[in-house]
Order: sequence, then C-alpha cells, then structure tokens
Amino acid sequence: MSAVDERDGRAHRADSPTLYERSRPGRRACALPASDVPATPLPAELARETLRLPELAQLDVVRHYTALAHRNFGVDSGFYPLGSCTMKYNPRLGEEVARLAGFAEAHPLADAEHVQPLLGVMLDLQRWLAELAGLSAVSLQPAAGAHGELTALLMMRAYHADRGEGARNRVLIPDSAHGTNPASTTMAGMIAVEIPSDPRGNVDLGALRAACDERVAGLMITNPNTLGLFEEQIEAVVETVHRHGGLVYGDGANMNALAGVVRPGDLGIDLMHFNLHKTFATPHGGGGPGSGPVAARSDLADYLPGPVVARSGEVGAGVLALVEPRRSIGRMCAFHGNFGMLLRAWAYLRVLGGDGLRRMAEHAVLNANYLLARLRGRFPVPYDRSCMHELVCEGRIEGSDVRALDICKRLLDHGIHPPTNYFPLIVHEALMIEPTETESRETLDAFLAALGAICDEAVRSPERLREAPHTTPVGRLDEVRAARHPVLVDAAVGGGGGTGAR
Amino acid sequence: MTAIKPAPAARAQPVPMACAQDERKQSALVGFVLNPIAGMGGRVGLKGTDGVVEEARARGARPVSPERAARCLAALAQALAASPAKPTPRWLVAGGAMGADALRAHRLGPFEVVHQPPPEPTREDTLQTVRRFVERSVALVLFCGGDGTARDVCSITGTAVPIIGIPAGVKMYSGVFGVSPTRTAALVAEYLAGSIGLADAEVLDLDEDAYRAGRWEARLFHAARTPFEPSLTQRAKVMSDARSDAEVTAAIAADVRETVQAAPDTLLLLGAGTTVRAVAEGLGVEHTLLGVDAVLAGRVVGRDLDADRLAALLERHPRCLLVLSPIGAQGFVLGRGNAQLAPEIVARIGRGGLVVVATPAKLARTRCLRIDTGDPALDAALVGDGFLEVRVGYHRRRMVRVE
Ligand SMILES: Cc1ncc(COP(=O)(O)O)c(C=O)c1O
Repeated sequence: MSAVDERDGRAHRADSPTLYERSRPGRRACALPASDVPATPLPAELARETLRLPELAQLDVVRHYTALAHRNFGVDSGFYPLGSCTMKYNPRLGEEVARLAGFAEAHPLADAEHVQPLLGVMLDLQRWLAELAGLSAVSLQPAAGAHGELTALLMMRAYHADRGEGARNRVLIPDSAHGTNPASTTMAGMIAVEIPSDPRGNVDLGALRAACDERVAGLMITNPNTLGLFEEQIEAVVETVHRHGGLVYGDGANMNALAGVVRPGDLGIDLMHFNLHKTFATPHGGGGPGSGPVAARSDLADYLPGPVVARSGEVGAGVLALVEPRRSIGRMCAFHGNFGMLLRAWAYLRVLGGDGLRRMAEHAVLNANYLLARLRGRFPVPYDRSCMHELVCEGRIEGSDVRALDICKRLLDHGIHPPTNYFPLIVHEALMIEPTETESRETLDAFLAALGAICDEAVRSPERLREAPHTTPVGRLDEVRAARHPVLVDAAVGGGGGTGAR
Repeated sequence: MTAIKPAPAARAQPVPMACAQDERKQSALVGFVLNPIAGMGGRVGLKGTDGVVEEARARGARPVSPERAARCLAALAQALAASPAKPTPRWLVAGGAMGADALRAHRLGPFEVVHQPPPEPTREDTLQTVRRFVERSVALVLFCGGDGTARDVCSITGTAVPIIGIPAGVKMYSGVFGVSPTRTAALVAEYLAGSIGLADAEVLDLDEDAYRAGRWEARLFHAARTPFEPSLTQRAKVMSDARSDAEVTAAIAADVRETVQAAPDTLLLLGAGTTVRAVAEGLGVEHTLLGVDAVLAGRVVGRDLDADRLAALLERHPRCLLVLSPIGAQGFVLGRGNAQLAPEIVARIGRGGLVVVATPAKLARTRCLRIDTGDPALDAALVGDGFLEVRVGYHRRRMVRVE
C-alpha cells in the first residue's frame, strides 16, 4: 500500500502492526543448517555495520501473513465481476501441471535436445492459439496484453519500413479502447489517433475514413469492444484500413466472448494478442506474471519476436528447436516468455478442447446477457443491444444522487468485488460488469439482489453508500489526495538505510 | 517503485510540504459576488441584459441568478461538509442581494461585507466589490452571472486571482463557468480541499449591441485562471494519471515543437487563446493572447498581425502552419475572437496547414468544434468530412466532429 489517509492509516496499523513493529531483538524464525562449504567473508567495502531487518519468531511471521491473506479478495473468495479483466475461476489443475517436477525444475538455459517435451508443449500452444486466431504463426514471448500490443506495433513498424513505407506512423484507436492501446502506440514511437464511437457503440466509420490516409500504419481494434458489444461493421472497418495500406491489429483481451466461435483472422485481422491470464484461466492477481502471446498472418510471421518453437531438420524428424524468425523484431522477454503461465493455459486448452472452448464463450455471453436483462430496468444502459461477455451500464439510480463509485464501495460490504468503474471513458459513471462463464445462476442472482438492496438504500439512506465501505479493514480512501500527496515513508522503519521504503 | 529514503520523523509530521498550501486554502478567504440581474434578458428574448434592464423588467423578466446561486450554495454547503479535507472557507461578499443574503441563507460560515451596493446595483458595484476582494488577497472569486459579469470580474482579477462562475447569464461563452450550479459547487469544494488545481481559460463576450442587431461578434477579452475540471478521462484515472492542465499543455506543446522542428522553413502562425499560448511557451516565443503572431525558425517575425500584414507574410512564405485552439465554451476554432484570420488568408493556408490543439478537458466541454470564417464555401472545405484532427497530447491526436 503506497499511501493511505492518515486516519485510516492509523486504523490499519492499530489492528495489524507491521513486521518492523512486531520486531524484538534476538527473535529468530529459523535456524540455518551448518554450512558445508568454506565461508568466505565479503570484502570489507561491501560489508555493512548494521542492517535493519525485523527480528521475529516463526509464529509472528505466520500470523502476520495469515492476517494479511485474510484481507485479500480473489476469485477464490467471492464474485469478482471486474469488467475487461475476465476474472474467471483458475482451475487447480493448472497449478498441478505447472508444479510437475519435469516442468517446474527445467532450467531455462537447458539445451533444446534435453527439453524436447517442454518445447512440445510450447509448440502445441502456439498451434492452438494460431488456430483460435485464424492466423498462421504465434510467438509466446510477450509477458502481458500491453506487452503483446507493443510487440505487434513494433512488428507493424518493421513491416512498413521493409516495404519502403516507414513514414507510416499513425495508429488509429477507437475512443472505447483500453488505455494501453494509445500508451503502447506512443511507446512504439508512433502517433495515436483517437476515433470516436457512433451512437450504437461501433467505430464511427465517417471518422475512421476521415482519419485514413497514406500515413496510417494501422488500426488497433478490440472486438467485442470494451462496451461489451460486437463491432457490427467490422468488415467495413477492416476494409477501410486495408484500402489505405494499414494493418489491422486485434486487441484480444476480450477473446472470452469469441474463442472457438469467431476467428479474428477470418474477419481480416492481421495480427493480434491473447491474454492467457484472461481467456485461458491463468491467474492474474497481484500483478503477477501474465502472458500475452501474439499471432500473425503468414507474411507478418517473419517479424515475430523469437525464439519460437519449430520443427527443425527434415520434416518428421521430430526434433524441436528454438528459432529466430527471419526478420524478427528481436526479443521481447528473457528466455521463453512466462513459461509457467504457458503451461497452465496449455492445460486449460487441452482439458476444454475445441468444443469446450466454444461452450466457455457461449456461457460467458449467456451470463452477461442474463445480468443485462435483469439490470436494464435498474440502471441506464447507454448502448442498449445484446451484449457479448460483459455489459456496461451507468451507475446512476433514479431518485438518488449517489455515484457509480458509491455503488461499488457498497458492494464490498456485500462481499462482492466491484465491477470496473469509470471505464470505458465514453460512458458517464460507467459500471462495466463481466461475470464470466464460471459463475453459477445462484451467484449471479445474489449479485443482482445485492445491487437491488443498494438501489433501495440509495434512495432511503444515501449517506450509507457515500460512506461505504463499512466492513472492510480500511474505509474509503481519499484517492485523489493519496495520489497527490502520497505518504511514502513509515516512521517505524526510519533511518535504516532505505530497507523499508514502501 | 523508487526507494525513497525514509525521513525519521515522517509520521510525526504527516503533512508533506506540498500540503502547506492546502492548509492555507482550507480556511481560505473566498470572495462571492452575485450579479442579481444576470440572465434576465434571455427569458424575454433579449440577447443579454447589459444596458437593457429596464426593458427586460418591462417585459416581465424575473431574476434568475439568485435562484441559480442558491442551488450552487446549497450544494457547496453539502460538498464542504462531505469533503474529507473539511475546508472551512471564510467569505468576503457584496451586501444584500449581491451576495450576503444568499450566503446567510445557506449558512456557509462567517462572512464580511466589503461593499454595500445601492438598491439598484450596476456593474460598477461588481467592479468595486471585486477590487476589495483583490485588495484582501482572496484565494478564489466565486461569481454568479454570465459573460458580462465574467468580463467585469476578470478585468480586475486578471490571472492573479482564480475565478469561477455559477452559470446564470444569457451568454456563457467563456471557459470560466461550471457546467451547472451544482457542478460549480463541487469544483469549488475540490479546489478548496486541494484536490484539483488551476487551468487557463478564456473570457469571451459578445458585443451586445451588434448581437441584438443580429450580428454575432464574440470577442476574446481576457485570460483567467480557473479551477481545472479534469476531463472524464482524467477523473477516471486519477490514481495513475493525476496530471495537471499545465502538464497536458506542455505535452501538446512538445508535440507541436516536433512538427515545427521537422519543417524549419515553414512559417508558423500562432492564433489566439490560452492553449496556443502554452504552445508558444513551449517554442520559447512570446505570444499575443488575443492576436495572431508569426514565427519563423524560432524567431517572432510578426506580432499581433492584422489581415494585411498576414497576407504580406504569406506572400513571402507560402508554406505555413496555423496553430489554433477552440476558444471559450462554444468550440469555435475559427470565426470567434480571431477576425484577423480573414477568409482569404485561411483559404491560402488550407486545411492541411491547420494545427488544432486542445486539452481533453477543454474538448469535454464542447460537443463539437465550429468553424465560421464568414465564407461558407471555405467553411465547407475546412470542415471536409466533418472531422478535424486535434492534438490532445504528445503523439496523441483525436478526430473531433466539426460543424
Ligand atoms: C481491452 C484490453 N486491452 C488490453 C489490456 C492490457 O492487458 P494486460 O493487463 O495484460 O497488459 C486490457 C487489460 O485489462 C484490456 O482490458
């Protein structure tokens, strides 16, 4: 936690002291075994006189982290309809597979010939993803969705440069897009051009045409878009960009609606990323490792970041190798990407199979539409048509002036993680709800009941909402103040040479 | 996260340096002045109330500004009480109907009357009151009225004292008004709590005689400082993206600078307004806020140019970029406040030579951009497919509808 309001900060500290506050001189949590190698002292100039580490008994440490763990909220503890994040259940099987010694203990520098089965998993995953994308080749390198975006944009740039069209530097991005799209664009050294949406929530074709000229490098499009709506004119959009020599990039963050149903390549998408930590059920809590493989059309495959897994030597010889694509933009990640995540996603794909994936997408869409149908009367729905895997409504309640944020904070008291709010940016007071396919009818109904109770309360006693949450360890934080005036120092750690900076 | 060296007594002294100013703001002196006749003309079909109060009254006009001020003050009392920072402003006001009555009714705390207007106040009373505010170094002037009132207030405060208007006039083209009385209250509360900063804004007014005669001649009169309403975008991402207006305009300036550096022999014309001024600052040149300046190879080669001098410059330097920003609240890129840019001059520069700049916050206030050069054929050519590309940040552009 980087910054909390003073008052709340004290409350937090009072019932959960930091490790430094629990520290007592001489306490130890473990006894190191006797060294079986000769000890070599550090050179004097590297040695420190003091090092302020907390001194604790094992039980202190266990209680401390158990207490903190109880404050955590994840898909394992409750409903987590965080739109655009696909917070589905992460099956335990994935964890089991990732922990198999043959996988977990393989060394990333091992010779390819010693880790053929591991390369086999990677190749299998590359093929699955290529098939789902409707594209010809995949690199598993990128470590997150945004990283996949950057990868694809660098590929776009290299592609245009090779064709003598390096002046193409404008990337068109709908205004409903995730903020990572323009950020990746500027990071790739190109210019982001925002395209407004039309009244149905599609890309405004007039604006798109007005923005298309010989300077266009490409378009980044999320389909279904972040309003949870299928892009109705996707073919016209793709055709417009292609006609001007641009490439079309698919932001695959929302593939949970399409996997096994629609192949983006069939819609004319030239390259795309997947979020394994969304669609393919690898964990994405705590900002841990993600994975954002990129798929590309055949004439773009040469630009993929390496290494990728391919069969080498004579066809059928069965030897797998790590190879660099011919015109590769280079590495995007050390070693082989986030291999542990690749394993989990691979296990998920193997268990579901093609039919299972299709059912997954269908149920994700069904669940979202069930919520949409039940919420339509309660909250304004700005772009009201059948949704895909998520829905966006406005967090406004008739007869009350509470805001989307108040509704979200009050949901915490009901033991439910709030939906994404204030995004997409083109919806006022947006609530973006993505139930995912792994939630049961009962859970969805409980969520609806909670929202119903909150709506009633908003009219009867709005201050309960404005002051929510009431049951969490920390009350509502003044986020603006925390961002403007962060308190980054903990007095309990003071003076200790920087070890305690938070 | 960068490791920050812990300061030993940080807990004991929880308020970082940057907050000291907020502490001051929390119990700040705020001036409040209400133009009791603003908005009367509109209801009875007069385009503005300046100089025609008698006629407005005769036609049955009733004052609207006291009611709008009341809505704002009621919301402000609530917002201040609900704010975690608990600001407790002290007030300076004009007497009676020009402020004190409303303030008292809403129990906004202690106030002091600095000017007692006669029963039939005039603009001179507004000016007097605001002069007292400035003498007493208020942190903010909250006024209630329209463009005429904004112009009066700003003629005294300039950019030295921030101002914000409760919208109550017939004309509100200036960028210093909240979008509604309650929104204005929220901005005041957030500003006093130290959560939002200040931004530049233009104060525009119509020439009312011309307007009533059917001609629409808005003029840019002043630059003001006003609490900055972050755009939806910025509000939504306030945790990660708490950027100030100055940072955004600096990013826009860097973007334009890059374009200019790539074309060193191009004549650069800088139009009016505060966003263009920020671009000029980024280029390291001085700028005439209300006029058009010319820059070549980093040097100012013409200041506050009229149409003839512009034409002469263009004769010598046919390759030209014209930097413009939407002015005021109506989104006019051309045709308000820049009469020097005569149709023949704009035609010569052409659509390709326009560099339109605006902050997302400013764009959020305008439904679309407008162009009105006075030459319909030229307007149609400039409007093109109905979208103008606007620079909204560094390497960030946006297609914006234009009419
Ligand atoms: C539509 C969309 N695109 C891109 C991303 C970025 O993905 P990641 O968080 O893996 O970088 C997200 C993440 O939420 C997203 O929702």
